[in-house]
Amino acid sequence: MGMWLFLFTELLLFGGLFIVYMVYRSLNPESFLLASFELDVAMGTFNTVVLLVSSMTIAMSITAIQTGNAKKSIFLLYTTLGLAIVFLIVKYFEWSAKIHHGLFPGFEVYDNLPPGESLFFFLYFFMTGLHALHIIIGGIIISVVIYRTKKGLVNKEKYTLTENAGLYWHLVDLIWIYLFPLFYLIH
Amino acid sequence: MHITSYKDHFSTLIALLLLTVITVVISVFGANLRSLSVFTALLIATVKVIVVAYYFMHLKYDKKIYTWLVLIVAILFVSFAVLTSIEYLNR
Repeated sequence: MGMWLFLFTELLLFGGLFIVYMVYRSLNPESFLLASFELDVAMGTFNTVVLLVSSMTIAMSITAIQTGNAKKSIFLLYTTLGLAIVFLIVKYFEWSAKIHHGLFPGFEVYDNLPPGESLFFFLYFFMTGLHALHIIIGGIIISVVIYRTKKGLVNKEKYTLTENAGLYWHLVDLIWIYLFPLFYLIH
Repeated sequence: MHITSYKDHFSTLIALLLLTVITVVISVFGANLRSLSVFTALLIATVKVIVVAYYFMHLKYDKKIYTWLVLIVAILFVSFAVLTSIEYLNR
C-alpha cells in the first residue's frame, strides 16, 4: 500500500509536467510539430519496445521468486537491468546528437530558436531527463533486489522488495508510454 | 494468492507491442489526419497504461481498494488538466 501511495506522488509529479506540455503545445502547435521532426521515431520506438520487454522480465522475476526459483528471478532481474542500460545508451546517443547540434538550453542554436520550438526542446530535455533519472534509480533498486535475493534475504516467503521494485519499474514504463507519442509522434 | 504464469506475462507483452505498432503506424502513415491521430495516439497510450496497470502491476488480482485508489488519482489528475485547459485557453 505504501508503495502505491508513493507511486501516486510520482504520477502527480510527472502529471504536472504533462499539463505544462499541454498548455505550451496548445499555444504553439506548429512550432511543436516542426521541432518534433528533430527527434528520431525509430530510436523512440526502439526504446519503447525495450521498456515494454523490461516490464515483462521484471514481472516474470516476481513469478520466479513466488515459485521458489531464486536463480531464475535473479537472471530475469539482470535481464531487466541490462535492458535499462540499453535504454540509457540509446538516450545518450539521442541527447548527444541534439547537444552537438546546439539544441540545448544555453547553446547558440537553441537560444536563437523561435519561442515555441525552444519550449519543445526545454520540455523534451526536462521530461526525458527526469524520466532517465528515474530509470537510473530503478536500476539501483533492481541491483539491491538482486543482491538481497542472492543473499537469501529475498525469498519465496519474503519477496515484497521484488514486488515493490516491479511496481516502481512499471511506473517508469508507464511514464514513457505517454512521453513517446507526445514528443516523437506529433504529426 | 495469485501467481501470474510466465505465459500470461508474455501474452501481455505481445498485446502491448501490437498496440505500439498500431500507434506508430497511425502516426507515421496517417499523418493527414492530424488532430485525430494525436487523439488516437493518446487513446492507445491510455489503453497500454491500463494493460500495464491491470496485468503487470497485478491490479486485476489485488484487493479492489487499489484499483479504486488508482481511479481516484486518475480522475483527480484529469480534472487538473481539464480545469487548466478551460482557464488557459479561454484567454
